[in-house]
Amino acid sequence: MGKRKVTATGIIVLIFFLILGVLISIRLTGIGNTFSNPVGNALHRVLSPVESVILQAGNGIRNNTRALWNFRSVEAENEALKKRVEQLTGDNLELKEQVLAGLRYNALDQGLFNSPTLSKYEKSGASITNRNPTAWYQTLTLNKGSNDGVAVNNPIIAQYGLVGKVVAVTPSTCEVLMITDGEGKVSALVRGSTGNATFGIVEGTYKQTSRLDAKGNLQMLFRREDNVNIGDLVLTSGLGGVYPKDIPIGKVEQIQLDSSGLLKTAYINPLEDFDSLEEVYIVKKAEGE
Amino acid sequence: MRYLLMALMLLLSLILPGTAFYFWSWGDIKPDLIMLFIIYMALHHRPLSGALWGLGAGIIEDLYIGRHFGMYSLTLAVVALLTGWLAQRWNRENLPLIILIVFLVTFMGQLVIVFLNLGAGTGWTFYAALRLVGGVSLYNAVLVPITYPWIHRSFVKGWLKYRPKYER
Repeated sequence: MGKRKVTATGIIVLIFFLILGVLISIRLTGIGNTFSNPVGNALHRVLSPVESVILQAGNGIRNNTRALWNFRSVEAENEALKKRVEQLTGDNLELKEQVLAGLRYNALDQGLFNSPTLSKYEKSGASITNRNPTAWYQTLTLNKGSNDGVAVNNPIIAQYGLVGKVVAVTPSTCEVLMITDGEGKVSALVRGSTGNATFGIVEGTYKQTSRLDAKGNLQMLFRREDNVNIGDLVLTSGLGGVYPKDIPIGKVEQIQLDSSGLLKTAYINPLEDFDSLEEVYIVKKAEGE
Repeated sequence: MRYLLMALMLLLSLILPGTAFYFWSWGDIKPDLIMLFIIYMALHHRPLSGALWGLGAGIIEDLYIGRHFGMYSLTLAVVALLTGWLAQRWNRENLPLIILIVFLVTFMGQLVIVFLNLGAGTGWTFYAALRLVGGVSLYNAVLVPITYPWIHRSFVKGWLKYRPKYER
């Protein structure tokens, strides 16, 4: 029997089926998949303590040397503050406006974690052990897993508001998709100062637009006639079955009409500073909720 | 010792991007250390052996990340093959050439990831993808002058040097 010859067509067919197979595998094992991954779980169990130590050390160094690293921004901030002091001293009216704005902000922030919907759930604290293992997704790894009762779709909150939801769980860790990622959408409502609510979907702008920064950005689409204003507070609506109602998400910072003039986009500044998160709460929901 | 060191480098490449490089990221862009590690491995192995290292490291990264199985296995195998092909033509003692190889190969590797992401239905705008691909490639290239000289020295006459059984 003669030796079989490898032809160019054979190689092309092989590459085609290889890519097709990988694409199918990627599609089947996307975010939120339920495939068991014992090797990955073991890797996380072993590496999680090391990652936690490195991240904590990094946080400590950053917090203690922030003024050194951000010398230019601190200097600029200092200059801006000096000008601000001069301006405020000479303009009493603006001072009053600032005070009023501060009061309004505090009033909007009231009710944090006093939501009747949220208070009925059990909450458990967790530390962040890893942030975005790849640059392609905005995720966090926490040091709590299925052994601690964590399940996929458990909401994650922090001191000031919503962080994201659990998308993968190992016995000792879980992975959280942050709301700033384009894949993580949240059913929300915008509550204005008059108390009226406008419903919509909050979506992360990470990987959708050029508005990328370390803190991430959020946006909501509305009809032109919807009553949404700068400074309005954005809360979870409780619809959709993943997030409890009335968890603060952020404040409307900027509103932009689209080119057709029919829709407008509200850019939302998250209440939570995702960049300096170290501890979060996992909201545990009962089966079927 | 050689394989222990390689395994340690592989594990560090897995955990450092999400920990230490979180603090050294440029506007959310961080290096792809596993890709850099595989490029170095491929530069110091034969093409087939390098590709096997790429495939193995890719499988480990896929398992570690826990989703999109196959994405890094295929990408890192392609990266290793491409590096092997370039290494046969370009001098691996020449640091500027190595920086160019790392930039080009990382760029190609990240493009494969974008292609597979698009095939899997993930929505990336052209600008956002280009920004990440270019940024990661540039970051990997910047790390070469800091990391390559001592890794290359180790492969040539240090702990990473291959020694046949009769020499050990």
